[in-house]
Amino acid sequence: MALILSVLEQGMIYGILALGVYITYKILDFPDLTVDGSFPFGAALTVRLITMGLPPVVTLPAAFLGGALAGACTGLIHVKLKVRDLLSGIIMMTALYTINLWVAGAGYVAIFNQDTIFENGVVNGVFPGAAGRVKTAAVIFLITLLSKLLLDWYMSTKSGLLLRAVGDNDTIVTSLGVDKGLVKIVGLSIANGLVSLGGCIYAQQQRSFEISIGTGAVVIGLASVIMGTSLFRKVTAPRVTSSVVIGSVLYKGCVALAMFAGIDANAIKLITAVLFLIILVISMDRRKNPGGGLT
Amino acid sequence: MRKSSFSMWKGMTMLELKGIWKNYNPGSVNELCLFQDFNLTVRDGEFVSVVGSNGSGKTSLLNIICGSIEIDRGQILADGTDIGRQKDFLRQRRIGRVYQDPSKGTCSGMTILENMSLADNKGKPYNLGRGVNKAKAGRYREMLRPLNLGLEDKMNVSVGSLSGGQRQALALLMATMTPVDFLILDEHTAALDPRTAETIMGLTDRIVGEKRVTTIMVTHNLRYAVEYGNRLIMMHEGKAILDKSGEEKARVNAEEIMGIFNRISVECGN
Amino acid sequence: MKKKILTAMMTIMAMSAAILGGCGDSGKDVYTIGISQFAVHGSLDNCREGFLAGLAEEGFVEGENLKVDYVNAQADTGTSAMTADNFVTKKVDLICAIATPAAMTAYNSTMDTDIPVIYTAVSDPVEAGLANADGTPVGNITGTSDALAVDAQLQMIREILPDAKKIGIIYTTSEANSISTVAAYEEAAGNYGFEIVTTGVTSLSEVPLAAADMVKKVDCITNLTDNTVVTALQSVLEEAGKANIPVFGSEVEQVKAGCVASMGLEYFELGRQTGKMAAMVLRGEAKASEMEYEIITEPSLYVNYAAAEKLGLELPRRYATDAYQSFEEIIVE
Repeated sequence: MALILSVLEQGMIYGILALGVYITYKILDFPDLTVDGSFPFGAALTVRLITMGLPPVVTLPAAFLGGALAGACTGLIHVKLKVRDLLSGIIMMTALYTINLWVAGAGYVAIFNQDTIFENGVVNGVFPGAAGRVKTAAVIFLITLLSKLLLDWYMSTKSGLLLRAVGDNDTIVTSLGVDKGLVKIVGLSIANGLVSLGGCIYAQQQRSFEISIGTGAVVIGLASVIMGTSLFRKVTAPRVTSSVVIGSVLYKGCVALAMFAGIDANAIKLITAVLFLIILVISMDRRKNPGGGLT
Repeated sequence: MRKSSFSMWKGMTMLELKGIWKNYNPGSVNELCLFQDFNLTVRDGEFVSVVGSNGSGKTSLLNIICGSIEIDRGQILADGTDIGRQKDFLRQRRIGRVYQDPSKGTCSGMTILENMSLADNKGKPYNLGRGVNKAKAGRYREMLRPLNLGLEDKMNVSVGSLSGGQRQALALLMATMTPVDFLILDEHTAALDPRTAETIMGLTDRIVGEKRVTTIMVTHNLRYAVEYGNRLIMMHEGKAILDKSGEEKARVNAEEIMGIFNRISVECGN
Repeated sequence: MKKKILTAMMTIMAMSAAILGGCGDSGKDVYTIGISQFAVHGSLDNCREGFLAGLAEEGFVEGENLKVDYVNAQADTGTSAMTADNFVTKKVDLICAIATPAAMTAYNSTMDTDIPVIYTAVSDPVEAGLANADGTPVGNITGTSDALAVDAQLQMIREILPDAKKIGIIYTTSEANSISTVAAYEEAAGNYGFEIVTTGVTSLSEVPLAAADMVKKVDCITNLTDNTVVTALQSVLEEAGKANIPVFGSEVEQVKAGCVASMGLEYFELGRQTGKMAAMVLRGEAKASEMEYEIITEPSLYVNYAAAEKLGLELPRRYATDAYQSFEEIIVE
């Protein structure tokens, strides 16, 4: 039971991260490594705000805005300084490592006895007694659902439509009289805002911050996006965001299953990589076919 | 009905290129001086066909007008205002452009409705308002119907699944959905089969005629250059070596142009 | 009056212990423990082996009356958290968490259960939120710390170098453990008549430069368990060798590789000490929630005679008998 809850909780938290990765990888076609820095950035901001005694609810918008700022920096480095996409992300990820240490104040910070979005008067009132076991999962579900719905709504606006266009064919964005660089910056901001929000919730679920939590975050995000979008291939618009979250839960489920089955932990990463490759090849989800149908 | 929807049309603007210099790869062995003091005036409502061999500078000319290539010296005047130093996206608010590659004028991962909604918003802010206005779908459908390509029944079909001709027709429509001062056609029929190319040319002529928009069309097809438009320019090594308009243009025939074209091609050893 | 209260309390404690013991573990034939190790690392592996050895000495032998479920999280906190949740699902009798992140996730997962957590190789349990400032646990969790024995090390350096004034330390600015250890050195140095000179680095490539500059300013260098600096240990030793000043290590591997000596941690010992704590908890003799965390009581002395000879240093004679382990040659792996 605890493990199933754990898979659901972690899966949904990383689901929010995966929504961010979905924007950069699938929509913008931008390999964004900022994620490895913006996920712990959200966590660092969160533990800092909580130890300062601020109400836990504040951490959610704060982490989103913080992550958005980090994403905007990656975008500015790429667009204004004309640094290649991959390198822009690496630069920002590296910078965030130090920033995260500053913000959190140490390589690890515990908030075991502080109020969090899961552990406070209101939530404990709604989930009294035995129901408390599922309160964390319930709160995470609510936030994930809300994030998904907000993203769906945004993607249906004019601004969202333009974001889809810039990844699809950035020439047309220029033709429409819009600065495509600006659209990319906006996209990276929203993406990293979501990633950071994931980090914020993760820190509160784990009741701690640890500097290395971002390591490999982008891989988990990519795996979730690819699993989700390949398994539910015929799905469009709002439902694709759901598939991404489901992909993330499935990914975490696979890890748990491998662990429960007693597979040598040393082999888990290799197995993950192979699994990842197989799904990738089966779904033929490699680069977009350039030019696309010249007939 | 069709006329009234374009009553706000500004249309017909004069375009002047004055003393344009463009040097590629300056200082290197590959240095190529394409334009040296190039001048061109396109008058209100003119439909100019531009032909020329590869490397003659015809596509560069379009890129210079649209701001995709920066010029070294000179002025680009739109109705007297110098837009030569304006960012490409700002300039293109007044320009509609269709490319050779049909995938450049549309978004393949989006539906026809979404593509048209995007194009319809050109010149207005892309804010948090509804991206796709279902109420406008009817109007879009009416715009697609005269194309006779059956696109009006595929509003929710992803553009990536359309044929090249269908996509190019859509691109042309999208480029001229909102009022633009200039229409730039960059070999927009070159990637299509001959029959589809004819259809697209017919559509082009109709749209240009209806909207009387100042148009510059680069083409490889000498027959199209002769048949369509009211001015013909032949480019060679960054210069307009032939420029016929009005009555003169009406008299030229494809054979004559072909003759000149072959002669210059032989001269440069093609 | 006081006496009465005390007696009453003791009676209650004894009763609860009896009840707990009765319904709990003491009747079990086979105990199940989960070991959550954060990463693959020589010291941490030694810790785990020591832990099992400590348990075995107390009569809990793996394969006989002890079932061990071991998971290594491969330095991934997500996996570490899931490992702990998995142990909770399996209702293990005790979780052994090796290294700080493993301890933190284990505590987080067991918070609403009665599964005790025994940690080891946690440098600063107070900072990690696992213990109160006075050393008492914050919950049903206790263990051992691998904080460096700063005082013992300084004392040893004073003994070997009676006239030395300045000790140099190179550390990575992003390693939290290094920063707190540097602070501990700075605080304690005065008591032994030393001054600490520090240089922070951010990457491996900066270590040789920092070392070349450092050796001009100090009488000796002492190492931390700083990952970056330890990786570049050979370049530090080389620069120090040129300047003919000694380098002191912080653990056995460094001494083996050419540091003169160290009052270091023997991670196997640390693990063993932890194993004994775990045994007490399993037997029901003590509760994790009531045991203060422990640091290793006697740091072990390691010396490298070959390294000392190269510098013309004479080591105190008693080291021949006091050293936990001594080396006659420099072994570079």
